[in-house]
Amino acid sequence: MNKIALKRLTKAGVAIFATSALLGIILQIPRATADDKSADAASTTTKTSSAAQPSEKIAKDGSQLWSENCARCHNMRSPSSYSDAEWEVVMHHMRVRARLTPEEHKAILEFLKSAN
Amino acid sequence: MKLSRALVTAFLALSAMSLGAQQEQPQPPDKYVSVEEYEKLKAEHEAMKQELDALKKVVSQIANKTVPTVPAEPAPATTPSDGKQVVGTTSPPAEIDELREELAKVKETAQSTVPGTTKFLLTGFAFGGFEKRNGEPSTFSAGLTPILLWELSDKLFFEGELELGLNDTETEVELGYAQLTYLLNDYITVGVGKFLTPFGQFPERLHPAWINKLPDFPLAFDEDEGLVPFSQVGAKVGGVIPIGPTKLLYDLYASNGPRLNTDDSDRAGSLEFDNFTDIDNNKAVGGRIGFMPIPGLEVGYSIQGSRVKAPDTSGSDADVLLQGVDGSYNHDFEWLKGGIDLRVEWVWSRVSRLTYDPTGTLGFGPVTFSNRRNGGYVQLAYRPYKLKVPIIEKLEAVGRYDRIDAPSLAPGAFDEERWSLGLNYWLGQSTVIKAAYEFGHRDSSENGHENVDSFLLQAAMGF
Repeated sequence: MNKIALKRLTKAGVAIFATSALLGIILQIPRATADDKSADAASTTTKTSSAAQPSEKIAKDGSQLWSENCARCHNMRSPSSYSDAEWEVVMHHMRVRARLTPEEHKAILEFLKSAN
Repeated sequence: MKLSRALVTAFLALSAMSLGAQQEQPQPPDKYVSVEEYEKLKAEHEAMKQELDALKKVVSQIANKTVPTVPAEPAPATTPSDGKQVVGTTSPPAEIDELREELAKVKETAQSTVPGTTKFLLTGFAFGGFEKRNGEPSTFSAGLTPILLWELSDKLFFEGELELGLNDTETEVELGYAQLTYLLNDYITVGVGKFLTPFGQFPERLHPAWINKLPDFPLAFDEDEGLVPFSQVGAKVGGVIPIGPTKLLYDLYASNGPRLNTDDSDRAGSLEFDNFTDIDNNKAVGGRIGFMPIPGLEVGYSIQGSRVKAPDTSGSDADVLLQGVDGSYNHDFEWLKGGIDLRVEWVWSRVSRLTYDPTGTLGFGPVTFSNRRNGGYVQLAYRPYKLKVPIIEKLEAVGRYDRIDAPSLAPGAFDEERWSLGLNYWLGQSTVIKAAYEFGHRDSSENGHENVDSFLLQAAMGF
C-alpha cells in the first residue's frame, strides 16, 4: 500500500472514530435525562433491583406516594416536623381527610418515620 | 527381681510425694485474682461501658425532642471457662457500680417518654391580616384555629377544630368541627358529629389559612354568604375504593339541613347554614363522588337535597337542591422549573319558586322569583421551587377568577365577579405571607354597579 492510500485510510479512520464518539455522546444525553427525571420523581435512591434492601424499596414507594397525595392539597411538610408518634396521629387524620388507601397510609407513614 | 521391686517402690514413693506436695501447696493471698476472673471482669466492664454509651446517646436524643427506641441490652459478656480452681474473688470496682446506677437512671428516663396506646396531638393554624376594600374602612384581622387530634386506637379517631376570631368588639369562638370517626374496614369510614361538608374540595381540604392560596375565600364558599354549608351536624360514611391504578372517593351524609330565610328584607330567599339543630324536622342528605384517574388529577361531583319550611311565603315548604362539580390538577414540570396547581369548583343552588312576603306585611313583598343561584372559582398557582434562585424559589404566583350570581328579584341579592392576583412568599413549608389585589364589581338592584376592588395582606402559619 502506498503512502497516499495509507494517509487517506488514516484520515477516514479518524473521521469514523470521531463521528462514532460524537454519536455515542449525543445518544447518552437523553438516557441520562430520563434517569434524572425518574430519580427526581421518586427519591434519591436508585431503581429497585433484586439486590435492593427492603428499607430502600419502602422509602422509594412511600416518598412517591407522599409527594403524589400530600401535594394534592398543601405543601409537603418535612418528615422531621414531627416525631414517629406524632406522625401516626397526623397520618390517621390524613387518611380520613384525604381518603387514603390502607396501603398508601402504611407506605407514607413508614417513609415519614424512616426519614425523620 | 530386686531391681524391679526397687523401681516399683521408688515409683510409689514419688507418687505419694507429688500428691502430698499438691495438697500442701499454700493458697495464694486474697488480694490476687485468677487470670480468668480478671478477663471476666474486664469483659463485663467493657460491655457496661458500651451500654452506657448507647443510653447516653438516647438521653441526648430525648433532650433534642426526638423519641428514640430504647436500646437493646448488649449480649452478656462471655466468661472464660473456669478450668482452674478459683482461689478467692474481690468486689467489682466502684466504677462499675457507678455505671450501673447511671444506666438504671437513663433507662428510667427513656421508658418514661415512650407514648401510651392513645396518642394526642395539638396542631392547627393562625393568621394575621390587613384588608382594604373599596368603600369600607381598612382593617387588621387575626385568628387562631387550634385543631385537636386524638387517636384512641388504630380504628377510632377524634378530631376537633376551634375557630377563635375577632368581630367588631368581640372575640368569637366557634366550633369548626368535632367528629368521631371509625375505620370500619379498608374501604369504609363512618363518622358522627360536626363535620366539614364533603361538598366539592374547598370546605373540607382547602380552607385553612396556610393552605388557601389567597387571603380570602371564593365567593361561593364564603362561610357566611356562600352557597354551600361549610360544616354540618350529622353522620356520614365515606372512603376510597382502589380500581387498579385509579381511585374512587365517595361520601354520603345526613345532616340537620339548612334553613330558608323568608323574613329578612336583605336576605329573603337565601339559605342559612348556621342552624345546628333541625328546625323543620327535615334532614338534608348529600354526598360526593370523586375520581382520580392519574396521580395529581381529581374530578368530583357533589349533591345535597333537603326540604325546608317556608313560613311567610306562598307555600308551606320548599325543595332545595345543591349540585357542584370540582376538579384539581397539580403537577411538577421540569421545563417550568416548578409546579402548578389548577383548581376549579362550581356550585348550583336551586330552591322552589315561592312568593315571599305575599301580604306585604314584612315591607319588601310580595316578590316572586325563581330562586336559582350559582357561583364558583377557577384558580391557577405556580411556584418555581426548582429554579434554585434565592427568594425566587420561595415565591408563588396565584390567579383566581370567582363569581356568584343570584336572582335579580331576590331581596338584597347581588351578582359579584372578581379577578384576583396574588403573590405569596413561603417562609417555610407551612408558613406563608400573602399579598393579593382583587379587581371586582358587584351588581345589585339596590345599589347598581359597584366597584369592590380590594387589597389584602395575610401572614399564615400552620403548626
